[in-house]
Amino acid sequence: MALVLIAWELIGRYVLTSKLMFAPLSAVLAEFAKLWGTGELERHMLVSFTALGVGFAIAAVIGIAIGSLIATSETIGDYVDPVINALYSTPLVAFSPILILVFGIGPASTMAIVFLLVVFPILINTTAGIRSTDASLIEAALSFSASKFEIFRRVLLPSALPFIVAGFRLGIGRGLVAVFIGELTGAREGLGYLISVSGQTFNVPAMFVGVLVLAAAGILCVALLEYVEAKIAPWRHFELKA
Amino acid sequence: MRLKLETRQICKEFLGGNSKPLSVLSNISMQIYASEFVSIVGASGCGKTTFLRILDGLITPSAGEVLIDGQKVNGPGPNRGFVFQKDSLWPWRTTMGNILFGLQIQRRPRAEARAIAQQLIELVGLRGFESHYPHQLSGGMRQRVNLARALAIDPEVLLMDEPFASLDAQTREVMQLELIRVWTDRRKTVVFVTHQIDEAVFLSDRVVVLAARPGRIKEIIPIDLPRPRRFAIKRTPEFVAHVDKIWTLLEEEVFGSSGAQRRS
Repeated sequence: MALVLIAWELIGRYVLTSKLMFAPLSAVLAEFAKLWGTGELERHMLVSFTALGVGFAIAAVIGIAIGSLIATSETIGDYVDPVINALYSTPLVAFSPILILVFGIGPASTMAIVFLLVVFPILINTTAGIRSTDASLIEAALSFSASKFEIFRRVLLPSALPFIVAGFRLGIGRGLVAVFIGELTGAREGLGYLISVSGQTFNVPAMFVGVLVLAAAGILCVALLEYVEAKIAPWRHFELKA
Repeated sequence: MRLKLETRQICKEFLGGNSKPLSVLSNISMQIYASEFVSIVGASGCGKTTFLRILDGLITPSAGEVLIDGQKVNGPGPNRGFVFQKDSLWPWRTTMGNILFGLQIQRRPRAEARAIAQQLIELVGLRGFESHYPHQLSGGMRQRVNLARALAIDPEVLLMDEPFASLDAQTREVMQLELIRVWTDRRKTVVFVTHQIDEAVFLSDRVVVLAARPGRIKEIIPIDLPRPRRFAIKRTPEFVAHVDKIWTLLEEEVFGSSGAQRRS
């Protein structure tokens, strides 16, 4: 890591000296301090992370709900499964111009794009998690006269939880891409907007600030979810080790 | 002796794809009395586990009926507890959580449920392991949790499906003694499926020997050995005579069924 940073600084100073193409680390850090000082960076971050959070939360709720329905009802599963799989493998980013038309310039369209990209990995993982529940665990609950809803709540959902969190982890990466795409064309503020405007005005250090903040957010979220995954399903890690 | 559980001409067929239905159980009628310990032994594939699932109501019979205290069984109920063969503990629940499950389904008050579970944890000797997860327990301990979980709803009939099959020989013997102790303490009616003949004889008041393909009652053998029983009883001529008799009955079945396999 340290080597990469040193290499970045050296390349910026001595190899790619054109200020239009690259910036050394020191220039990026200076720009970071400047943007932070004026409060501009905080404003962009707030806009972007709000869009990410709201879009992600809606995607999580709807993804888990529809994923559960698909997994627990054969009829729904038969009809919806092919559609879901087709949509998941489609480059959904291609729909972003339509969403910007529908939701207008601003955070709403960014949220919609985040939702669209994040909902599928969560939905598909929820379905897979519920379907992979060990039949003997369901039978044990049945022997206690548990109702369908009780079995869902107390057996299927906890059994699927590690899959769902893994879906969140996949979703975060896609969500950050969605924030960038949404703000690239459909926003007047946000980190994506900062990156795009800085790029267009040849302010390379500011562009790197935006990229770095997005990357840091991604790394932080994924690390957090990996921690949660390990915490909520210690038996799975045990099985993998054994 | 009071009649507790009765089966009337239980038959079960499984539809296997396009071939003709496979008859798994044929005309099983038996009476089991309150607080009686009955084991069911038979060659593998004789349908003993299917029969036990029918008693619990997890599977419906193709014909015939199960009566408990004269009431027809239409599905699992609180008067029966099922102890599964293995790995049916919920891995995300602790020892306490697993035992609490049945009481939560019955919506019992929290404090009351915990008190019942704690009592059972002591009964099966798991004090100190309340907040351990199944993967942190040994095979024998897991089966203790399994037993306590079934006992939590205070069922009148305990249905046990080869609960000690996956345990090593020593642990199995310890668990047999423990089970006898719990059974004596709680006076449940027990139906115990096993393929270990000496286990069946050691534990039971009667042993039901099933014939295979389709599963049907071959013979019911009363075990008139005195209680309380200790391991030393396994070396007495009476004990050995029972084991020999059942083994002879099963031998015909084992060779019969492997012969059938060779033909098919």
